[in-house]
Amino acid sequence: MRTWLMRPGAAFGAALLLLQVIAIVFAGLLAPYSPTTADPLHTLMPPSASHLLGTDVYGMDILSRIIYATRINLLVSITAVAGAFAIGVPLGLIIGFYSGIPSAIVMRLFDFIQSFPVFVLGMALVSVLGQEIWNVALVLAILFVPVFARLVRAEVLSLRQRPFISAARCSGATDRSIMFRHILPNAMTPALVQLSISVGMAILLTAGLSFIGAGVRMPTPEWGLMVSSGAQQLILGVWWVSLFPGIAIVLAVLCFALLGDELRILLDPRRRHR
Amino acid sequence: MIEATKGGGAARAALPSLRGLRAIWHLIPRPLRIILARVALIPMQLFGVLLVTFVLVRLLPGDPALLLLGNMATPDAIAALRQRLGLDQSVWIQFMHYLINVLHGDLGTSIFTSHPVTQDLLERAPATLELITYAMILTVVLGVGLAILSVAGRRYGFDRLTRLYGLAAGALPDFWVGLLLIFFFFHIAGWAPAPFGRLDTYLTPPNTITGFYTIDSLLTGNWADLGSAISRLALPVITISLVNAGAMMKMTQTVFANVYDSSFVQHARACGMPESRIVAMSLKNSMPPIITTAGFLFGFLLGAAVIVETIFSWGGLGQYAVQAVINSDYPALQGFVMVAAIVVLLVYLVVDVLYELVDPRIRI
Repeated sequence: MRTWLMRPGAAFGAALLLLQVIAIVFAGLLAPYSPTTADPLHTLMPPSASHLLGTDVYGMDILSRIIYATRINLLVSITAVAGAFAIGVPLGLIIGFYSGIPSAIVMRLFDFIQSFPVFVLGMALVSVLGQEIWNVALVLAILFVPVFARLVRAEVLSLRQRPFISAARCSGATDRSIMFRHILPNAMTPALVQLSISVGMAILLTAGLSFIGAGVRMPTPEWGLMVSSGAQQLILGVWWVSLFPGIAIVLAVLCFALLGDELRILLDPRRRHR
Repeated sequence: MIEATKGGGAARAALPSLRGLRAIWHLIPRPLRIILARVALIPMQLFGVLLVTFVLVRLLPGDPALLLLGNMATPDAIAALRQRLGLDQSVWIQFMHYLINVLHGDLGTSIFTSHPVTQDLLERAPATLELITYAMILTVVLGVGLAILSVAGRRYGFDRLTRLYGLAAGALPDFWVGLLLIFFFFHIAGWAPAPFGRLDTYLTPPNTITGFYTIDSLLTGNWADLGSAISRLALPVITISLVNAGAMMKMTQTVFANVYDSSFVQHARACGMPESRIVAMSLKNSMPPIITTAGFLFGFLLGAAVIVETIFSWGGLGQYAVQAVINSDYPALQGFVMVAAIVVLLVYLVVDVLYELVDPRIRI
């Protein structure tokens, strides 16, 4: 673990994660202003000592909004991916273990869901279900289930043929104990790596949906919405409203991408001895 | 399709008529066989797409008639629409009605534009297709080029640079990149035109031949339009490519590296084949997975177009879809999702056919 943290990618990823956790837990202490209070006297102020990252069209402090938005963006993305993981992993285990017509049908269904462009389907579903933040999480969870189920299924298919499974079966183990005690722990690695990468993707999708107006609404602090609220002024040279929330998105996604990459290396048994 | 060879023996032993059919099937030239086998799947897939778009609007909480009418909802109008939509009938009959309407090209009427959705979509499709086509070309060239550079230039440390690019590109939100490009190239440098539409406002669009402004203006010799169309395409195309080329690069890299390090390439190298020939040879042998990846990319680009069109007021399908979302214009949204899914299906069809064409090992 210690040598793992020495890797620059892992250290940077872990530092970014820590930063976000701090922002989520201590938002009330860190944010200098309220994230949702408009101040008509101080609209579109450039970054200065009183407003470190400036203010937006409503006079709301951008730094405070970015800090508070960490809660919404991360909680939505993590909830969505955790939900998809909780459904996708057992589902993948079952359809990998029992290959029959029902499993084939589920796989065709996944093919089909995944043949729709993710963003288009997400946009349509959120719009139909109602533009609320938890609907965004629900839709993202639905869209990510096939990803996890497929990964686990592929692992299970190859593990099923291995001698230690036959041994377990010969010693009288039930299907259930074979699946959960022998196969599942060995089939988790790709899904765990994907877990981290998916959180990054979910952050991008959440922000994109809010950007086009299919997610949360003002004045909720959310990164994509903040970028969108500065889009019209950007052409006139007001850069700080859109720039800073965008950087927050990039860093958050980068964090989970790096951790996913490094997790793959950490969990890869062939590399463990290095 | 590989199973077909295994099944061959069984079929030969079975009915003689089946054997005859198989013989006739193999008389058809291979490329045509590949295309026929794929096209046969299309009706089933289309049925699935229509089922999803139908269910999508059925998911709406409440009365679809009320939602479809929006502000114009009077009790009489609701009752009339319910009858017209067949909402008093069973779900299956409603689905049949929907199927029949779609097959007749009737996708309903947009609440926002009050035009038929089919007409709206047809008018806007060329704008989006032109954007995506150029974005696709640039993304593939950039992605594959960087992948080759990183693998063949490993000893110069190019792989580290490209890995950094891959990480960064994967983390960049396209809407943010588009806005930053507008800020730098329009506001600060003044090189790019204003991000409003496909053509400078004082120009009239070229006569429609293909619907692509670049091609139409070239064919009609309208140089002013051509210049304007190209300069307006530049930023949105760069935005989409910059963000998506990273994924393309990563996928190509793995495939290309496997071929580049394989023993037959090492043999060629040992025989003294020049590096350029080796790269060309490795690229040719990594083509099938690259084609598949490029096909998948198309779906992503369609999603990216939705966002990028909004930023650049492109006036295509994507912007139409966003307007539909904002105005709760469900017939328009339903129509867009259907068209998007069908376009992606067709792209996958082309990709599958190309894949089998370039890989002679696949029997069909």
